[in-house]
Amino acid sequence: MTGRALAGAALLVLAALTPSAACAEYGDVLLNRYSDQGGVRPVVFPHWFHRIRFRCKVCHDQLGFEMRAGANDVRMSDIIEGRFCGMCHNNDIAWGAERCDLCHSGRPGLKSGVYGGHQTTGPGRW
Amino acid sequence: MRTTSLTTKLLSLAALGVMAGPLQAQEGRQVYEQKCAVCHAAGLAGAPRPGNAADWGPRLRAGKASLYRNAIQGTMRGMPPKGGNPDLPEAAVRAAVDFMTATVAAASKPAARPEVARKPAAQTAPAASTAPVRQAVPPAAAPVAAPAIAAPEAAAVAAPAPVQVASASLALARPEPGSGAAAANAFNRLLRPPGKRNLPPAEDGIHDPAVDGTLQLQPPLAAFGAMPRSNAGNRVDWVKALAEGKIAPRWERDKADAAAVVMDLNIVREVKGSMPDVVYPHKQHTEWLDCSNCHPAIFVPQKGANQMSMAAILLGQGCGACHGRVAFPVSECRLCHSKKKDGVAAGSAAPQAEAHR
Repeated sequence: MTGRALAGAALLVLAALTPSAACAEYGDVLLNRYSDQGGVRPVVFPHWFHRIRFRCKVCHDQLGFEMRAGANDVRMSDIIEGRFCGMCHNNDIAWGAERCDLCHSGRPGLKSGVYGGHQTTGPGRW
Repeated sequence: MRTTSLTTKLLSLAALGVMAGPLQAQEGRQVYEQKCAVCHAAGLAGAPRPGNAADWGPRLRAGKASLYRNAIQGTMRGMPPKGGNPDLPEAAVRAAVDFMTATVAAASKPAARPEVARKPAAQTAPAASTAPVRQAVPPAAAPVAAPAIAAPEAAAVAAPAPVQVASASLALARPEPGSGAAAANAFNRLLRPPGKRNLPPAEDGIHDPAVDGTLQLQPPLAAFGAMPRSNAGNRVDWVKALAEGKIAPRWERDKADAAAVVMDLNIVREVKGSMPDVVYPHKQHTEWLDCSNCHPAIFVPQKGANQMSMAAILLGQGCGACHGRVAFPVSECRLCHSKKKDGVAAGSAAPQAEAHR
């Protein structure tokens, strides 16, 4: 009986601790092609934060990011050498690559992709 | 009253130290008795009753975070912010929520033998004010004693209304009957409810709240405050925000003052069926984008060369490369389908174009 109550409580706690990824801000992109393998948390790229500061074309034209999620193969070495994110995240325009956990702040184990995309969350998801 | 507030302080001080769990539960119980029980004990105005699994099931499924938020900010369904006690610290509200939700789990025990559960209720309820004092004097002993005490206390809360215990036991016999169907049949169940929009990074489900970096990131609402709102996406009208100068995103990576190269050309696309025709404005798009972002990979720059359908857009083709991912989603039909078919287009298209601009 106690065991079952404990298990129930544990389940409740688990349910409380795992909020659904459907709450992500619209346009947030999760990048986890290499992060989990490399033992760091995946990267969360917030479109909203960047589009307040830059027009789309700065990243999608000048910085060389393809428009399609998954089409950009970005390694940490690229960023440190000043390509992709590293064109701005260089301690000149934005914070540099040594501040790992500002970008590598995603939940471990999440799949890459655009989160918070459309309005609905269920089987009718567009 | 003074002793209890002193006790609360002692307890919260001790909670900072070694054993946070049982002592917070103690505080939660006190807050519940003094503030929350007025409504929650009897379930006034639909308030979830402690120990009642049917009341709490759907709420618990929404997550502890949303319970906390609703308790602190209040809800449209009748919960006043902090239960109508604005002076109450948020931690105390959370502790009370913890206490009430813990009674749901604990109710499984008294439900098995309700007559036993009801008897200690009569005894513990009058003694409630003295009990915390006894525990607070030897704080080191409290952690050991508290878990044992917690069970009858939980029963004491659940017991005053025997009907609740019965319904709780029914609910436990078949896990959450009806509440599953209630969730499935909830109005607009697939839409993101107002409480889940523009959440700060630590609560959005994709950031790891355990990382310092997550807490240093700017929450969306801190940035969106002064911007014009919309009904979809980030719930910000980005085009309007840019036009009104609320934001000044750079056109060049390293030049703050470079002006955008804007092309003002509307393309009208006639559509099948009864929907208004689509007016595609180059102006609003070239404020943000370079020609090469769309041409020629996504749209061939030639009249009639681009076959489009809403199905393809929903799958991410054509307009769907951005609309539905970062730009406003296709739920905002009339932002694109803005030109009436009957020929008197200008009248209907103009207000939409204005709104868009």
